[in-house]
Order: sequence, then structure tokens, then C-alpha cells
Amino acid sequence: MDATEIPLKEPAVSVAAGDTEQVERALIDASTRVPVLMFYASAIAWLLIGTVLAGFVSFKLHAPDMFSNTSFLTWGRVRPAHMNVMVYGWASMAGMGTAIWMMARLCRTTLRHPLLLVAGAWFWNIGVLLGVGGILAGDSTGYQWLEFPPYAAIVLFVAYALIISWAVLMFRFRRGEQIYITQWYLLGAFLWFPWLYAAAQLMLFVVPVQGVLQSAVGWWYANNLLFLWFGAIGLGTAYYMIPKVIGRPVYSYHLATIGFWTYALFSSWTGMQRLVDGPFPAWMITASIAATILTIIPVATVGLNHHMTMQGYFPVMHYSPTLRFTVFGAMSYTAFSLVGVLISLRSVARYVNFTQASIAYSHMGLYAFFTMVMFGSMYYIVPRLVEREWRYATLIKLHFWASAYGIGLMTLMLLAGGYVQGGSMNDASLPFLESTQSVLPYLRGRSLSGLLLATSHFIFAFHFGLMLLGLGRTSTVPTFLNPVEAEGSEGHI
Amino acid sequence: MKGLVSLFIGLFGTFAFSWLGLTLIPNFQIGHLDPQADEEGTDIYPMPQSGTAERGRRVYVANGCFYCHSEQLRPDYIASDLDRKRDVDPHPKWGERRSAPRDYIFARPVLLGKARMGPDLANIGKAAPMEEESPAPATGGSPAASPAQAPSASPAPSSAAASPAPPNAPSAAAKTAANPSPAAPASSPAPETKPGEPRPYSAAWHHRHLYSPRDVNRDSDMPAYRFLYEKRPVAGEHSADALQLTGSDAPAPGWEIVPSYDANCLVAYLMSLDQSHPLKEVKSGAPALGGSPTASPAAAKGTK
Repeated sequence: MDATEIPLKEPAVSVAAGDTEQVERALIDASTRVPVLMFYASAIAWLLIGTVLAGFVSFKLHAPDMFSNTSFLTWGRVRPAHMNVMVYGWASMAGMGTAIWMMARLCRTTLRHPLLLVAGAWFWNIGVLLGVGGILAGDSTGYQWLEFPPYAAIVLFVAYALIISWAVLMFRFRRGEQIYITQWYLLGAFLWFPWLYAAAQLMLFVVPVQGVLQSAVGWWYANNLLFLWFGAIGLGTAYYMIPKVIGRPVYSYHLATIGFWTYALFSSWTGMQRLVDGPFPAWMITASIAATILTIIPVATVGLNHHMTMQGYFPVMHYSPTLRFTVFGAMSYTAFSLVGVLISLRSVARYVNFTQASIAYSHMGLYAFFTMVMFGSMYYIVPRLVEREWRYATLIKLHFWASAYGIGLMTLMLLAGGYVQGGSMNDASLPFLESTQSVLPYLRGRSLSGLLLATSHFIFAFHFGLMLLGLGRTSTVPTFLNPVEAEGSEGHI
Repeated sequence: MKGLVSLFIGLFGTFAFSWLGLTLIPNFQIGHLDPQADEEGTDIYPMPQSGTAERGRRVYVANGCFYCHSEQLRPDYIASDLDRKRDVDPHPKWGERRSAPRDYIFARPVLLGKARMGPDLANIGKAAPMEEESPAPATGGSPAASPAQAPSASPAPSSAAASPAPPNAPSAAAKTAANPSPAAPASSPAPETKPGEPRPYSAAWHHRHLYSPRDVNRDSDMPAYRFLYEKRPVAGEHSADALQLTGSDAPAPGWEIVPSYDANCLVAYLMSLDQSHPLKEVKSGAPALGGSPTASPAAAKGTK
């Protein structure tokens, strides 16, 4: 097909005199400009910090004698610092930025009092900073994914209340009766996250549950954060971006309904499979394994729906950065879920439990799926906020390939390494050290993939910085990855 | 979507269902366990840990030990955890029985662990040499103090035949003398102990391992925790708790490396980790060997 016919972006506003819809969109974008850019800029700053920490974690794992005289640089502190920076600093802030913008667009209402949202973003940043500082100073709580000390958690919660009340307020002032698919996911994420966070904080710190149940609550929280917070925002974004870029409605509304409700029902019951064969009643773990297997239903329906929407439009990925990142993310969601099913099966889990495979799983969910979708949405939204187009198509391409190869290599290394590690760990005739020795080559490979990812992040941050400084291209045509517009926009690059 | 109301009911309902099912109902089932006691109420397990060990747990958490070390053993029909021997000293093994919820009722935070870049620590305290665990009065004249780890010239002939290792440890000789059964020596000597080094999994050994892991085990992947130790000039005599270091890690003459308070607490915590006591609800792998002898009747009662 001829890609030039595809409306990759609505034309700039100034030309559309009298077109009320264009003016309305421009007004909405203008009202979200400061807060959304604030969220994005913070997220990208955290992404860079998290990347540096990740490199440290990865290299120290096969060079354990680095910095052993410094308490706040010990591996066991930097690892949770990296994890929490990525989860609460990068992923959550990027997700909230995208969610606020999409919510405003879908509610067809301007964002009222955007500066209060900026205050929320500041509070959130302070909360993450306090939390990471606390972890490095030795104040970690000891619950994975919830290492932030309670004083940081409270700040985060206040910030969240500020942010979310604005999103919900927007929904209150929406125009039109229709509630779009993306809005189901966003409303779900907005309501589930505070409940989840409060419930976990309550059951771990305020009225702590006894013994092993703390672990159960911890992993229930971690998996639900992955699915009901990041997963819901990620899928909602994919449901928005894919039809928007190719200019075609979602293939089936009914499939979307089935996909959404089975997702909410089944994925919220996962989590205990990570504690497989631990000191728990077997029914808890079995229930989560069953729920994990049942997540194949939403995966299949969502995947089918996106695929049918894209049918015939796949060549557009050759040109549109947004579509390329988003489709990569949506496909990774399927891969992530299938790997999740595989490693939850008891026959596989006995090998990969306690190995690097669970790190691979987390990275597939948070990076290959969520982060890539977020990159895609930023490539779409930022030009509309700063009224400039991305400057260099080459940088976008480099960003994509470094990210895609980086996360692909990392996943392969950690999954294969995990399997090898688990195999030797389960052979009691070998010394235990054999299992850690056997995984080291894979960890070195993982460090290599980390270099690729770091490259991609610094490229993206540089490109985003140019946009913030107003150094993007002034053009009515968006930046394509490959030249399609023969009608004379080459001069802009 | 029919309408806003059904959307919100659905959102709340699905999440409430998960909350109820995966946290609240388990809390009813195993959230209020009591320690197990025998009929006289004397043999109580588990017991709360000492304040030092609890502070050690904070040190363990602060430095993220639990990211690499689990504290749970899986049942024998799933995994080989119960067959696994420790690398430095294979006696005792990782554990004799699987872990159960009751083992953790005083643990806060509970540190089950999700990865094993290092060995499981559920029973690391149990792995300590006998004299450190409890100086039994019956052995009389037991050379239990830690300076006693100096090399012993005693040839201890009774155990030499059974093991290729240098039979240097005085307590091994003492135990052998107390129990001259031919089977006993095979399980008591520590094979890799060289003269002048602490016995594996003793407190002194843990300190040395934390300070310099690759000095203890060349291929170890553990970071060193040197910031938990102080280097200071020797004032008069060497401190009793100074680390016994050799090679490049040894401090210059006139200096010594001593554990900080945090390091002592951390080791106290490690020494407190012991799930060897039988539990009524768990089948013990080897009831005759596992656990203390006084607990065996309770175990027999429980398994009938």
C-alpha cells in the first residue's frame, strides 16, 4: 500500500481555521502541556538514573569486589534502588503522564488547574527520592517491590491522591456519553493502584500479618502492580495509539470487552505462583497457577483484536515511530504472558524457581511490554505538546533498535541462564557453587545487553531534551522513520 | 460497556475478589498460628529471637542479603533441597525437612527469598560446629572458647582412619572420645578446615567470610562486606574477636580487623537460623538424626 495516504497525524491547527475539532484538540493539548511534560521529564531523568544503577548491579554480579568498602554501594542496596527507581520513578511517571493526556483527549475536556498536577508530580519525585535515599542508607523494608521506607510511601500516596483526583475530575467533566476502551483500562488502573498500595502498606506495616503471609501479600502486590497498574495503562495506551496512528477503529468492541474483564478477573489472582513449593497452603499457589494459565484468554483476545486492527496496515510500522514501538510492546505483552504461564507450571518452576528466570519475566513485563509502549506514546504526544516535530529520524531508529535488541538479548540470556542455573541447582550431587558458576557467562551477556539499553536511553533523553528546548523541527509533517513524503519535506531535517 | 455504574462495580468487584481470595482468606487459615509445644509445655518451638539477632535481621535486610539467599526448603518430592550438602562442610545438610508456615511466625519481615545466587540459609545456624551451638555440660572440660580453634597437635587417631581430612579440631576429638562408635567420626570432622582457620559456619568463620568471601571460597560470587568491619591499631594484645586473616587480606602488623556491632548482630542472626526442630505438620526427612534428641518423642507423637 502507499504509505503516503495514511493520515499519520492530523495537520497542525493553524491551517484548520473553522475546524472546531482541531481547535478543541489544540486547546486540550495546551492545557496538558506543562504537567505532562513535567511527568515525562521526571520519568526520563529517573530512567537515566535507573540505567546507571542497573549497569552497576549487572557488572557487580560478576565482579563482586567492586566498592566493597562503601556501604551504600553494596550490591544488596543498589539492586532495590535500581528496581524502585525504574518502577516508581520511570515507569509510573511515564505511565501517569501518558494516562493524563489520553484521559483529557478522550474526555474531550481541557485539564483544569494544571499546576496542581505539577505539584503532584513534584511530590511524587520527592517521594521516590526519599525512598531511594532511604534504601541506599539502609532503610529498606525487606519486601520486594515495596522496599521504600514508610516515610517515602506516605509521600507517594499523598502525591498519588493529588494526581488521581485530577484525572477523575476530568472524567467527571467529560463530554459525550461514550466511554472508550482505553478509558476502562485507565479508570481501572487509577482505582486499583491506590487500593492495592494502601492494602499492601496496611497489611505489611500498619497491622502486619503473621509470618509467611507477609510474603504472600508482597507478591500479590508485586504481580498486581505489574498487571493492574502497568499492564492496564500499557494496554489502554496500545488500544489508543494503534487505531489512532493507522486511522482505523478497533476491530471488535466485543472482543475488547471480553479481553478487559477476563484480564481484570484472572490477572488479579496471579502472584502466588512466584512462591511455588514454598511454605504455604498448596491451594493458594495452585489458584494462582490456574489464574496465570487463564490469562491466556485475555492475551488471546487482546492480541487478536490488535492484530485484526493492524491487518493490512503493518507496513505503516516502517514509517511511524509510535506504531513501531507500540506494536513491539503489544507483541511483547503476548510473549511476556506466555513466558509467565510457562514458568508458573510446577514442572518448569521446579527448575527455574530461585533463578534469574524470574528477573527475565519482570523485565519482559516492565520493559519489553510497558516501557516500549510508553516510548511509543511519547513519540506521539511530545510533538503535540511542544508543537515541534522530532528532529532526527536516525536517532529514533537507533533508539528503537538498541532497545529492541537490548531487551531481546537480556531476556534470552536470563531465561537460558536461569534454566541452566536451575538445572545444576537441582542436581544435589553437584556443589552449590556450580549453579552460580554456570550462570555467570549468561550474566556477562546480560551486562552486554545493558550497554545496548543504556545507549538507547541516553539517545532518547538527548532527543527529548532537544524537543524540550524547542529545537525540534517546525513542520506540519511528522518525523517518519524512513522518507515517504516525496512532496518536499526533506529540507526540514 | 453498558454504563458507568456497571463499569465501576466491575472494577471494584474483580479487585475485591482477588484481595479476599489471596490475602484475607489465607489470613484466616494460617494467619494466627501459635508456637508448638509438647504436653509439658517445655519444648516450645519456634521461640522469639534475641534482641541482638533481631537487630541482625535489620542488618541482613538493609544490605539486601535476601536477594541472593533464600530461607526456605522445598519438599523432597519437588526439588533436591533436602539432599543438598553445603559446599564448605557437608555436615549437616541444608536441612532435614521442608519449611512450614509455623517456622516463620516470629519473622518480621519474613525473608523467604526469591533467588539463590548463594546457598539457602534456613538452617545455617544449625550448621555451626557443636560447641558453639550449646556447650553441653556432659562433655565436661569442653574447649569451647573461640581461641581454642588454634591448631591442635593431638593426632586423634580414632577419626583419622575414617576421613582423609586433617583431624585437627579439638572438639571432634573430644566427641569421638565420648562416643567411640565407629560411625560417629565419619560425620564429625570438617574436611576443609586447615590449621589456624575457624571451623566452618562458626561465628568466627562467618566474620571472615563476610569480610573476605574469596579467601574462604575462591569461586564465591558474594560481595565483601568490609564496611561492617573496623581496622584499628592493636592496643596491647589482639582483641579476642579480631578476624583471623591470612594472605593479602591480613592487616599490616600492629593492626587488626574487628567486627562492628552491626557485624556481630548480623552473625548472631545467622547463627539463630535453625529450622531443625520437628514440626507436627511436617514429615521429617530423617527423624532419628534431625532435631535435638529431646524433641524426637514429640515428632513421633505428631507423625502417628
